[in-house]
Parts: sequence; structure tokens; C-alpha cells
Amino acid sequence: MRAGSRVAVTVALVAALSACAPSGASQSTSYVAPRTADGVPDLNGVWQTLNTANYDIQAHPARPALAIIPATPRTGTPGLVRATHTDLPALALRPLGAVGGVPAGASVVEGDEIPYQPWALAKKKENAEHWLERDPEIKCFMPGVPRATYMPYPLQILQSTNTVLIAYEFAGTTRTIHLDTVGNSPSPSWMGWSRGRWEGDTLVVEVTDFNEDTWFDRAGNFHSDALHVVERYTPVSPYHLMYEATIEDPKVFTRPWKMRMPLYRRFDADAQIREYKCVEFVEQLMYGQLGVIDPATGAVNK
Amino acid sequence: MAIRSGVAIASLAVAGFMALPACGPPSSTSASSASSTTPRTAWGHPDLQGVWRYEGAIPLERPEQFAERASLTEKEVAERQQLEQEQAAKRLAGQEGAAVGRRSVAESPIRGNEYNSFWQDHGRPRQVSSRTSLITDPPDGRLPFTADARKAEARASARYGVGPFESYLDPDTGERCLTDGVTGMMWQGPNGGHNRIVQSPGYVTIMHEEYRDRRVIPLDGRPHGNIRQWFGDAVGRWEGDTLVVDTTNFLDRTNYEWANIWTRPSESLRLVERFKRIDANTMEYTITVEDPTTFTRPWTAVIPISKLSNDTQIYEYACHEGNYAMPNLLRGGRTDAARAASKVRRP
Repeated sequence: MRAGSRVAVTVALVAALSACAPSGASQSTSYVAPRTADGVPDLNGVWQTLNTANYDIQAHPARPALAIIPATPRTGTPGLVRATHTDLPALALRPLGAVGGVPAGASVVEGDEIPYQPWALAKKKENAEHWLERDPEIKCFMPGVPRATYMPYPLQILQSTNTVLIAYEFAGTTRTIHLDTVGNSPSPSWMGWSRGRWEGDTLVVEVTDFNEDTWFDRAGNFHSDALHVVERYTPVSPYHLMYEATIEDPKVFTRPWKMRMPLYRRFDADAQIREYKCVEFVEQLMYGQLGVIDPATGAVNK
Repeated sequence: MAIRSGVAIASLAVAGFMALPACGPPSSTSASSASSTTPRTAWGHPDLQGVWRYEGAIPLERPEQFAERASLTEKEVAERQQLEQEQAAKRLAGQEGAAVGRRSVAESPIRGNEYNSFWQDHGRPRQVSSRTSLITDPPDGRLPFTADARKAEARASARYGVGPFESYLDPDTGERCLTDGVTGMMWQGPNGGHNRIVQSPGYVTIMHEEYRDRRVIPLDGRPHGNIRQWFGDAVGRWEGDTLVVDTTNFLDRTNYEWANIWTRPSESLRLVERFKRIDANTMEYTITVEDPTTFTRPWTAVIPISKLSNDTQIYEYACHEGNYAMPNLLRGGRTDAARAASKVRRP
């Protein structure tokens, strides 16, 4: 058996070496991910998206700010009247100038259509109009799933034998993905209750038990507490994971729909998840006017 | 190379698998030599994984009544065991808001303590020990506060649960849903003192339920960085089966109100922690705290931490998201201020 074992070891090492060779991007069918000591695909690392989905998961043109004052309706014949302006940043955001603008971006939604029920589409539009007051990101609330994946902060996948952690930078949120049997969630939650399994080289995560307080983006896309997300993390090269999220919520949508985007490995020196303890950053915004005094301004609240 | 035994083949196979993650991110540190009964992870590191909680009754500081004594007599241990059983029964009956490391109802300035009691973790009787303090150094078992820090601790103690609460900066860091500090993270937390340790090649991650505090500790030998954080910049290494974590580069947050000022971070804080499994269900957790901003000398505490059953979970701690207490506290502060003003006007 010794000789046989030696051959097996050699095969394993050769497989290891060939797995390291760069392969073309998006060759998901041919790429074989390296294995962990447990023999499953190794997704460990610091990852991040490079897209504008957190602004709007659907296709969107550039615009001057997240909250805008729409241009007034035009009057007169173009070319025969004085110039008018287009949309303006909301007053509170105007000093940010070009920093506060929204870059254009392609849709991460399959077919670019979110199948809202009619009432829900109306609510989405209302959410967008009241973004500054309503987006939970502004208050440093946990972002939910899948939004946590495509916020402009890195995430780290930490793989153990029966557990996969995803450590997100924003708001210091961590998800525990249970690969073994686990009881039911005791209550709805912001980040949901995650059960994972391997389907070939893909980590499939069923996420349930959400509350209705998170959004999908800064464009007001939302869900209810009936949300059920199925995530798929598929290694497609040493430096890329393909991420898919299937969204099902019969209270809000007419059918399931899907998002898809790559995650890129952060391999810059010292890539790691830092603290973004944003509670500290929003206390004055949320509570400044509620106390006897606002220590930021010295104002005495009446 | 002559392969001398099946053991050598097995370890080579492990090494082959270990090499795989090296294609992308930095590889993990080499596994320490297997020398004890400490369980191992699939990649050969000592396995500290599971949900852990301090369930001891040993106070951090030695109570004054025990003065220079590091141990209790057998009779005293028996008395404490009796007391602990009684208190646990009261807690379970909802008559006692006290939990590990916090005040009892009798000591609490909050009348009734019902609200806090609701949140706290009523549990089994705590484990009584003959030790009189978790602090083993200095030998008197007391925190070696500087004179200014001693005054600050007295002020913090008098303010906690009392106020005044005139703005969002007046509650302590825990009431603001920030943290209670890294020094007590592994063994404090009356509302969620559970810690889940998860290991992956090259990292140990600790999740503390309360405030969802999280530390991702690299083991690859990297030096400390230069970015200050609330929980500092932690680097870990194995010394035999003991995990040693050295943390520096803390943010200075001594300007905030801390329920216990010995947990506050400053730029001069250095924390060294040792995690060592001493039996199947016990970890000896040792902290050495060095911070001239708060203490006259380094101090060390040795804390026995219990492993909870394998089905124990860490649940989501959405403190800030549900911090209804903050607006209510501030509303109370304004009501108090208005009442005080009207009394002044109507003598």
C-alpha cells in the first residue's frame, strides 16, 4: 500500500499545482477550485464586488446625487427660450458636488426586470423618492442579504469544517452558514438564518427568517418578511467567484427572480476586513435632536 | 526521499492539501506538533472551536474581606456554593437581576431592575472556586488603577444606570450599542456572553454575541499594521497548543462613558491573550493588560471558560437597530430637566 499511497500523494500534488494555473475568466465549467483539508472547494479569502448594484440593482444612468430635486417641467419651444437646468441634488447633498454623484451601471438583475406586484412597485417608487429618510444603510442598520454582498466594502469568507463564516466590513456583521444540521431560527432577523450545502463546486446557501426592514439597494427596492434567498457561490478562477442570488417573496413579487455578479479576490497586500463601526457615525444624526442638548452643535433642544 | 512509515505518508498528504490554498491568499502557519489530547482541526491546528462562556463565580478583583488571601477555605467554598444555588434559584424565579460580572438587585441603583433582568442571561448556578479573584497579578488581586483612573472608575460606578442623560454621549458605550470593550469580551456579557470560535486555515475568528463584536485574528506571522481600531490590530500565533493573541493599535475611546473603565481602549493599550484548552470542556483564558493611561503596572487575569453543548448557537444581536432605549432615555432626560426647571420657577 505504501507505493499506492505515494502515487495518490503525487496525484494530489499535481492536481494542486494544476489548480494554481491561471484559467480564463468565467470558464466555470472547466475550472476546478483548490480543495480545503476537508476536501471541499476552498473559498477562503477577502472578496469584493466591483459594480454599482448598491446604488441600484437595475440598469441606471448617471445622476447628480442620490436624492434629487427633479427638474421643473419645461415650457416654451426649445432653442427659443432661455436654458433651464435638469435634475439638481437635494439641498442637503449639494455641497458634495461630484463626490455625491451616482455612477451609471448595468443591471445585476437577470432580464433587468423585478417582478413587483402593482402595490409593491408603487411602494418601491415611493421609497426611492424618500431615500434620504428611509434607506436603512444611512442609519448603519445591518444590510441584509444579498445587499451585504455588493455594498462597497470587502467581505471575508472563513471556512471551517461544518461552518462557513462570512465577515462583512459594513456594520461589523457576520453570518454563520451552517453546513451541518441546525435547529430553526428563533425569530426573524436582519441577516437571516443560513443553511449551506455543496452542489459540486458551488456553495449553495438557503437564507430564511428575515425581517422586513432591509432593502436591496439605495433605489428603494425592498422585500417582506416572506423573503427567501438562495445564494450560489461558484469559484470560476483563483481570483473570481460567481455569485447568484435567487429572490423569492410571494408577498411582494409575482415570481422568483435572480441577481448575478462576480466577486473579485482582494489580493492587495494586507487585504483584510477592517472595522466600520458606523453606529458612532450616525448617533448625532439619529439622536442629536432628542436630548436636552446636542453635544455636536451645543444647541439646547426645546 | 525515503518514506519510512504510513504516518509520514499521511502527513505529506496533509501538506499537499495545505499547499492548495497558497495559490491565492497567504497560506496558514505550519501546524504545531501534536503533543497532547487537544483536538485538532482538519488542517492540524489545535481545535478551539465551539461556543464558550464564562460560568464561574470568581470576581475579577479580590473582595476586600479576603485581603491577602488568594484562596478560600473549604468551609467558605461550601458557603458560597450554597449562596450560589440560592441566587440561581432566585434568578430563575425572576427575583434577581444579577448576572455574571454585574450588580445584584440590592446593589443596583435601578429600582426593580425588571427591564434589565428581562434581557439578562438567567442560567445555571455559577461554578464556585476556591480562588478569590480572577486577577492573579498583582498579588493583591486588585486592578492597579492610576489615581486618576480610580476617580474615573468611582465616577463611572456612580453614573451607571443613574445618569444624568442629557445627550446620546451620556449613556455608556454598551447602552450606545458600541461595545463593552475587548478586554472583557471573552468572559463578560450579561445579555449575551456567548462566544463562538471558528477556525479556518490561517485565521481564528471570535464572535461575541453581545453587540455582535467580532475579531478575525490572522495567524500567518504578519506584523502589526498601523491602522487603529476599537478592537485594535490582533495578530495570533500558536505556542504549542496555546493560541497567543497580541493586540495593539487601539483607538483612544477614553473620552466615552464606560460602565467599567478597565475595559476602555486607549492608544497605549497592549493586550496579550492566551487560549489554552485544559480539559474537554474548559479553556484557560489568560489576559495580560498593559496600559499606562489607566494602570500603574500590567495586570494578569486567569479566567476558566466553559464550552457549551454543541448545539449552542450565537444569535443575531441587533442592538443599534432596536435601540428604543436611547430615545426613551433622552426623553426621560428632557422630562427631568423640564421638571427641575418648573420647580425652580415655582418655589
